[in-house]
Parts: sequence; C-alpha cells; structure tokens
Amino acid sequence: MTDQEIWVYAEKHVGMIQPVTYQLITKAKEIANDKKVVVILFEATDKNLEEKIKEFGPNEIVVVKDDRLKDATDSEIASLMAELADRRKPNSILFGATVVGRSIAPRLQAKLNTGLTSDCLNLAFDDDLLIQTKPSYGDNIMCEIVCPKHRPQMASVRPNTFEAKKDLNQSVIVTKINDLFFKKAERIKIIEETPLLSKSDSIANADRVIALGRGAADEKAVRLAEELARKLGAKIGVTRPLTDHPKFSGDDQIGQSGNTIAPKLLVNLGVHGAVQYTTGIGSAELVVSIDKDPEAPIFNYSNYSYVGDSVSFLESFLKVIQ
Amino acid sequence: MSLKIVVCIKQVPVSNNLKIDPITKNLIRSGESGVMNPYDKNAIEAALRLKDEWGGEVILLSMGPADFEMTLRQGMAMGCDDAILLSSRKFGGADTLATGYVLAQAIKKLGKVDLVLLGRQSVDADTSQVGPIVSEFLGWPQITFVSELTGHAKKGMTATRLLENMQQKIEFQLPAVVTVRSEMNEPRYPTPRNIQQSYKKNIRIWDENSLSVDPNRIGLKGSPTVVRSVWAPIKEAKHTIYLKGTPDEAVRELLIQMRASNLL
Ligand SMILES: Cc1cc2nc3c(=O)[nH]c(=O)nc-3n(C[C@H](O)[C@H](O)[C@H](O)COP(=O)(O)OP(=O)(O)OC[C@H]3O[C@@H](n4cnc5c(N)ncnc54)[C@H](O)[C@@H]3O)c2cc1C
Ligand SMILES: Nc1ncnc2c1ncn2[C@@H]1O[C@H](COP(=O)(O)O)[C@@H](O)[C@H]1O
Repeated sequence: MTDQEIWVYAEKHVGMIQPVTYQLITKAKEIANDKKVVVILFEATDKNLEEKIKEFGPNEIVVVKDDRLKDATDSEIASLMAELADRRKPNSILFGATVVGRSIAPRLQAKLNTGLTSDCLNLAFDDDLLIQTKPSYGDNIMCEIVCPKHRPQMASVRPNTFEAKKDLNQSVIVTKINDLFFKKAERIKIIEETPLLSKSDSIANADRVIALGRGAADEKAVRLAEELARKLGAKIGVTRPLTDHPKFSGDDQIGQSGNTIAPKLLVNLGVHGAVQYTTGIGSAELVVSIDKDPEAPIFNYSNYSYVGDSVSFLESFLKVIQ
Repeated sequence: MSLKIVVCIKQVPVSNNLKIDPITKNLIRSGESGVMNPYDKNAIEAALRLKDEWGGEVILLSMGPADFEMTLRQGMAMGCDDAILLSSRKFGGADTLATGYVLAQAIKKLGKVDLVLLGRQSVDADTSQVGPIVSEFLGWPQITFVSELTGHAKKGMTATRLLENMQQKIEFQLPAVVTVRSEMNEPRYPTPRNIQQSYKKNIRIWDENSLSVDPNRIGLKGSPTVVRSVWAPIKEAKHTIYLKGTPDEAVRELLIQMRASNLL
C-alpha cells in the first residue's frame, strides 16, 4: 500500500550524515509494524551516502542525485520533498529537530497543508495514527499530539533522544529518482558552510562531558576542568549563565535551549540542576555531580554525588589520576 | 531606501512553571498576564537597527487575545512605529499552521513589506515553525536561526546562520523572512519618551473580516494538529550514592566505580 511508508529525511553537512538520521531510522523500524521505513536522501552526483545509511537497515533509500543539491537551500529541499510526497503519499515524515530540520519541515508542512509536531521526545503508532509526545513550557509539561485528518503526519525529533542501532541483515532497496522538477529558489544562496572551528566535535555527540555551572566558573575552575577534560578525553559543556563567559558560547550550552547530550560519563561541577538544564542530560549514562549545596536538585539526577567545593574536587581528581 | 519591516511577536507566560490540576488534568494558568517572548525582543532590536540605518518603519504584528496589547505596547516603547493585533474568537485554538496563515494574510494586506522578522522560537510552544510557514505562504526566502545580519538593504544582505556545529553564510535579497537568535544583539530598553509615545499610538485590531482569509484555514478549524492530553512529566530521581570524606577520598571511590564501568 502506498500510504504505509514512514519517511526519514537524511540530514547531512559537509558530506556527513547527521547522527540523528540514524537514530530516526532505528526508532522508525521499532514502531513501524508492517509499515516501510524509507530514507529520503538528496546528494550531489559524486557522493554515495546511501552506503552509510544502508548499515542502519531501512527498507528503502530514495536517492535524488543532482549537483544543484550541493548547496540547496531549505526551501528547495522542501519543494523536492513535497513533489516526492505527492507521488508516494507517505503515512508520516520524520526530521531531526535540528536547526535545518526545524526549517525545512515547517516549510514542507505549509506546502502539504498538514500538521507538524516539533521537537518530539517520543513517537508511537496507534494503528496508522502517529502519537507524538512533545514537551512545552520549557519541558515542564508534556503533550500528546496527533494529526487525525491530514496526511502525511509530520514530526521532528530531538537529537539523541533515540539510540541508533546498526542492522546489517535488512536488504535495502535503493531507488534513484532523477525526474523531479528542481524549482530554483530565488533571491537566496548559501555561499559557505563551515564547521565551527572549536566546535568541530559538538558536545551533543561526545562520549564524555564535563559540565560547568556557576559554581565552577572562575578562572581556576575552568583551567582545571580543561586539564581534566584533556586527560579524560572529554568535552566541556556549560549551563546557560556560563555562555556569557568569554571562553564559551551558546553552542556549549547544555539544556532545553542548548544541546541535548548523551555521554557515557557526565561530570557536573557547580551545576544547580534547574529543570531547563536537566532536560538536556536525561540520556547521560553515568552522572557524577559535585555541588557545595547538599540540597542542589542536580543530585537527584546523579549516580554519584559529592557535597563539596568544585575546585578542590578538580585538584584531587587531577592529582589522583596522575 | 526606506524599509517597511514587520516583526511578528508573541506573548508568553511569565513563568514556565505551570502546574496540572490533578483532578481535571487541565493546565492551571496563573492569573498573571504574560511577557514578550524573549527572542522576539531580539527580532525587534534587529528591525530597529535596520530602520536606523536605512530609514523606514517597523510594524509589530501579533495574533492573540486582547491582552496581547500589553506586549505590543512594550514593543512600541522600544521604538516601533505601529502595531496590529489580529484578534478574534475565530482565530482561537490555532496551531502553527493556522497562525502562520493568518500572519501571512495580514502581511499581504499591509503590502510592500520588505522584511519580516520573527524570534527563533517561542519559549512556551517551542516550535520554531511559524517563521518558515509564513515564508512559504508569502513565497519568500527564509533564513532561520540567524545570529548576524549585515549588508545592503537594496543590493543584498548576508546572514550568518548557526547550526549545531556548523555555520552558514547566506546571501539573500529582500523581501525575505528572517528568524533571529539571541546572539544577534542586545535588545534596547524602552526610553521614557518612547514609553510615553507608545501610549499615544493606536493599536489597530484586525479580525477575520479585515483580512482575506479562508474560514476553513483559521483557528481550530484550520489546525491539523490536536492535543490529546497534557501531563507533568514525572522525573524519576536516580538513586544517588554520596561520595564521602575529603575530595581525595571521594575521587578514589569514584575512580573505582569508573573502572568498573570501563570508563578508565
Ligand atoms: C526559557 C528558559 C530556558 C533556559 N534554558 C536553559 C538551558 O538550556 N540550559 C541551562 O543550563 N539553563 C537554562 N535556563 C536557565 C536555568 O533556569 C538556570 O538558571 C541555570 O541552569 C542555572 O545555571 P547554574 O546551575 O550554573 O547556576 P546556579 O543556579 O547559580 O547554580 C550554581 C550552583 O553552584 C553551586 N556552587 C557555588 N559555588 C560552588 C563551589 N565553589 N563549589 C561547588 N558548587 C558551588 C551552588 O550551590 C549552586 O547549586 C533557562 C531558563 C529559561 C527561563
Ligand atoms: N500568535 C503569534 N503572533 C505573532 N507572532 C507569532 C505568534 N506565534 C509565534 N509567532 C512568531 O513566531 C516565532 C516562532 O514561534 P513558534 O513557532 O511558536 O516557536 C515567535 O518568536 C514569534 O516571532
């Protein structure tokens, strides 16, 4: 049946598929029942990113190859997606809730005159109806949202909410499409896309993170934390107040209006544990927190807690692992 | 060159700490009225700076109940020239699609608009959908999550757009829709003179009869999404083990656990 496809938009930057794409494929397979998981990939003719995507075992990859896709704008991608959706009438379309996903998806939504739920934290099917769980009011409230009368059902999902799992047993059909009408967007051109230098490896994808809050913001704490991060192979993340610190910016921020992280190890230093922060660390595995306030809520989100001074703890840590 | 700039702004609750009534399961809204969505202040600031540079006017546009007037006044107190409130029972219950549609129809009615600015997202709904939806309905280029805006209003502008770990430079020509990150600027405070002026200015109220709108595309009727339920997430506290003693002792104990978890 043509309307039983779950689409995943493959987001890529400088020739790399974004991890959220793989996370979405795995989740879509989990909830698909008998629906087909179809990845939609747009790439330049010299690329073969479908080979990477295959490892995660969708049922099909639809590839549109065209050299104009090298620097396609969001509205051009939305137009191409709309054309494909008109042909194949998918049941639903999933995007990563990234900056780009959050730009293409609503433009496409308006073209298709359907519903979109952004920044979902969970997805499930009730028959053909996609049940979308989305936080609002700064993650203080959860809503269950559905789109009963319009198709496709569209959702974007926060990166690192689901785990990507390889599946090499699935035979993957690759369908090449080269007869789409490419409507060139007028008056807009992406002239360059560059990795942010210091951030080439974002904390969102780091295995180990040392997070600094206002209780570890002075020069000494930051210097010691950087040294420890080097030793542990960790990245440094911060709470929102520290984004004003000359060394850090919004890209380093963890939490609701920053990055959602999913490291194997997270060490919080002088982080109080406001809900806007803790929503960003729900998927961290081993959480260790140091705060001088025994009542700090961060301890409720931690496997190991130490009530004490962040600088002394850092000094000891560096000394003991020598 | 004189620019006609529209800034879409929204009023949001003062605090996000809402509660759910345990019996009715409804959101308990506090009696307090709201404040301007913080990112929308950055959008207003961006508009005012462009006006200072190129001349022209800044018009505020908001869809919502009558008490959104407060936020519109606040925007005028920052120095905006004009404000329009899109308000009607028929607009109620709108999701982002119906909201974007009505805003776009109002912008079309205004005519000859050069630039529409919005916040990157609202902090209550948190969707960041309205900007791209408005762009699609206007058929204009959209540049979202912009942290820097430079260039020449007539010859062409350049936007810096921050992605998760990438940065894009985008060139575009007006008319266009831009959504603004807080990194772009520091919003100005209202001056006493502008506050005074803002109370002399008239806020125009437009309803569905003032606009050319399809009745099936506005309000609840025009909203494909349905909220089935709301609840307060239960935060499961992790079972935490307190590390004891001096920092050295605590670190040693921690390292034993890290080794056990293959983290060292
Ligand atoms: C709409 C909205 C979105 C937001 N989004 C985010 C977000 O994405 N991320 C985010 O982080 N915040 C966000 N915030 C802000 C958030 O509410 C908190 O204000 C912020 O997380 C607090 O940061 P903090 O824990 O570093 O500072 P504080 O709350 O000041 O806590 C500092 C902690 O350090 C401890 N301390 C002090 N000195 C020492 C010492 N010497 N040794 C050890 N401990 C010490 C204190 O006991 C305290 O617990 C948002 C707020 C709003 C309204
Ligand atoms: N009801 C509204 N009236 C005017 N502008 C709005 C409204 N809702 C959202 N916006 C604008 O759209 C932006 C993104 O909102 P949202 O899509 O709700 O995250 C906001 O920052 C506002 O600039």
